[in-house]
Amino acid sequence: MGRVRPLVALAWLAPALALILGVVLFPAVMLFQASRSEYSITGLRKGAAGWRNYTNVLEHPDLGTVLTNTLVWVVAVVALTIVISLGLAQFLVKSFPGRRFVRWAIIVPWAASLVITAQLFVLLYDYNYGLINHALKSLGIIDTSIDFLGNDSWTMASMVLVGVFVSLPFTIFVFIAGLNAIPDDVQEAAVVDGASPWQRWRQVTLPLLRPALLVATVLNVIYVFNSFPIVYTLNDRNPGYLHDTTITFMYKLAFKSQEKDVGMSAAAGVINVLLILLVVAVYLKIVNWREETK
Amino acid sequence: MRSTRKSALVAGAAFAVLFASACGGGSGAGDASGGDKSGGGDEVKTIKLVAAEYSKDNTKAFWDAFAKTYKEKTGYTLEVQVVSWDNIDQQSSTMIQNNQAPDILNLNAYASYAKDGLLHDASTVLPDSVKSDILETFVKYGTYDGKFYGFPDLSSARALFYNADLFKQAGIAAPPKTWTELEEDAKKIAALPGGNAGYALPLGPEESQGEFSMWLFNNGGAWKDGDSWAINSAKNVETLTFLKKLTDAKLTQNNPARTNRADAFDLFKSGKAGMIVGFSPLAAALDADKKVNYVVAPFPSNDGSDSKTFGVTDYLMAFKKPGNEKAVKAFYELYYQPDQINTFIEKEGFLPVTKTGVEKFKSNDKLKVYLDTLPNAQLTPTDDPTWDKVKLAVQQNLGGAMGGDPKAVLDTLQKTAESQK
Repeated sequence: MGRVRPLVALAWLAPALALILGVVLFPAVMLFQASRSEYSITGLRKGAAGWRNYTNVLEHPDLGTVLTNTLVWVVAVVALTIVISLGLAQFLVKSFPGRRFVRWAIIVPWAASLVITAQLFVLLYDYNYGLINHALKSLGIIDTSIDFLGNDSWTMASMVLVGVFVSLPFTIFVFIAGLNAIPDDVQEAAVVDGASPWQRWRQVTLPLLRPALLVATVLNVIYVFNSFPIVYTLNDRNPGYLHDTTITFMYKLAFKSQEKDVGMSAAAGVINVLLILLVVAVYLKIVNWREETK
Repeated sequence: MRSTRKSALVAGAAFAVLFASACGGGSGAGDASGGDKSGGGDEVKTIKLVAAEYSKDNTKAFWDAFAKTYKEKTGYTLEVQVVSWDNIDQQSSTMIQNNQAPDILNLNAYASYAKDGLLHDASTVLPDSVKSDILETFVKYGTYDGKFYGFPDLSSARALFYNADLFKQAGIAAPPKTWTELEEDAKKIAALPGGNAGYALPLGPEESQGEFSMWLFNNGGAWKDGDSWAINSAKNVETLTFLKKLTDAKLTQNNPARTNRADAFDLFKSGKAGMIVGFSPLAAALDADKKVNYVVAPFPSNDGSDSKTFGVTDYLMAFKKPGNEKAVKAFYELYYQPDQINTFIEKEGFLPVTKTGVEKFKSNDKLKVYLDTLPNAQLTPTDDPTWDKVKLAVQQNLGGAMGGDPKAVLDTLQKTAESQK
């Protein structure tokens, strides 16, 4: 292997570097600049704002609600998704007639645009003519319709259901790949040693699925945390920030709320990025720590 | 293993930044103070219009044809970009942040833009003959700080729509003239079998200020009294309390505070609501469906006095960019030609904003109920830049009164309005 001269190396790296600079760094710098500027309601920059946008976000009376919502939303969606996906993936690696068809069917919600899926659920959940209420009433489970999206006790649960629905395909496929990567002889050895099915799953399959679990969790946390269309579409009838997560909070700050302040929204955006980085770092740290202390 | 974990972290970080920046894509900084790409004083030959999409079928078709005529008649080129109403606030804000304001922007607000010194006023870009043709009401609400900036492109006025079949079933002979009658009628309709809403009341965030305007104007109330805000006036508290009463008595659809206008319209279109505040585009949709037998009537007032209507206009505002005055003036000169503006308004199903337009549309029986009230229509205080924020506060908070105290809600809104600079 001959040494590559630095200039040549740079030339090879240039496209990737340009991409990172253009797509990652440049917007990030612009976002930060915007967060330190004062904007008029029209979007006109009026001058520097120092850290005022940040303090305004941190002192916002609804910030607590928004953060709690975000936590509930991310934890509920990711946990449910992982558990359900584990079960379904286990089922889908078994061979049975029509397996290919079922696998294709599972990809469908992934292929559909999130806005369309969310809009579809708005119709399904509708109070007056939604299919879900219709079905529940025909079955005699309820007498009067449930206001899934307008009743505060139901809104978050209704959103989580849709969140899980759209996160399943990706997660299931990660787990299918993970399960397929587990060699058969390990399982056979466990059978020979007399392990029960539960022991085999708990002590052989699950530990070997660790990398897949890690990837699925980290990516899902980031996707779900940043999920805009579902929360925005299903929650658009509700006033204020009662059911908003940090992402829709950020959007409403810029365009819908009485603040209508791009600078404040940019500050919320920066805080958002830091928050998700922190969450992911902490998660990886915990996973790492467990492994090392074994 | 260690290094894979590290790269996973890096990948995660990159993802997060990517997503955040994709979402914050509209937040690029930039001063809009300069804006001269064309260089000092040279005359601009091409101008850009950002237009709101009133309908998929007509808006783009009209502006494309308009651009062609404009080019033939004046020699200037008009670039047209049609943007949906859902996106237009975001797009226009982004354009201004990035110092790429269009020459002409079609929007439902203008005063904040005038306040920021971004706009040409009528003396520079609006031909005098056009200004004198525009209805006085709209000139009044288009004037900020003594200058006319908000040139109306079209208007709409609201009226009471009622389902004649439901009225007949409930044995109601004529539309209500007072709020007491409206309440009685709503009771009769709600009592019919089939779970109909007596009155469909949309107080969700989409446009609660519109619904409330219609009610408060018909109780002799207003948003502003002269130069000061009057949101929590006794009249307005009475109005909102009445709406809460309708809600509590279950004379409305389920959960009015969380019902957007579009959803209320759908309810009326499906024949499940007795009454609703509607406007001409709703009538057009109902005519196309041919499902509901509806009648349009003046909205009842609280005490039976003459009905007032809530009018809405959107604006075509002109941004100050070096050298664009002549081309922009030529644009307005052409747009306000009766055969242009009235064609647009007729196709989109709205109401005229000019005296010649009112004359032309008078022959249309369907529009008569609106046209009679149009010259005296009351608007929301669109001439006050503060309203642009108050409107958003109203949208987000008014519905809260249905589950709370109407006076407290209005007091808070009053405070919000007074605290704006």
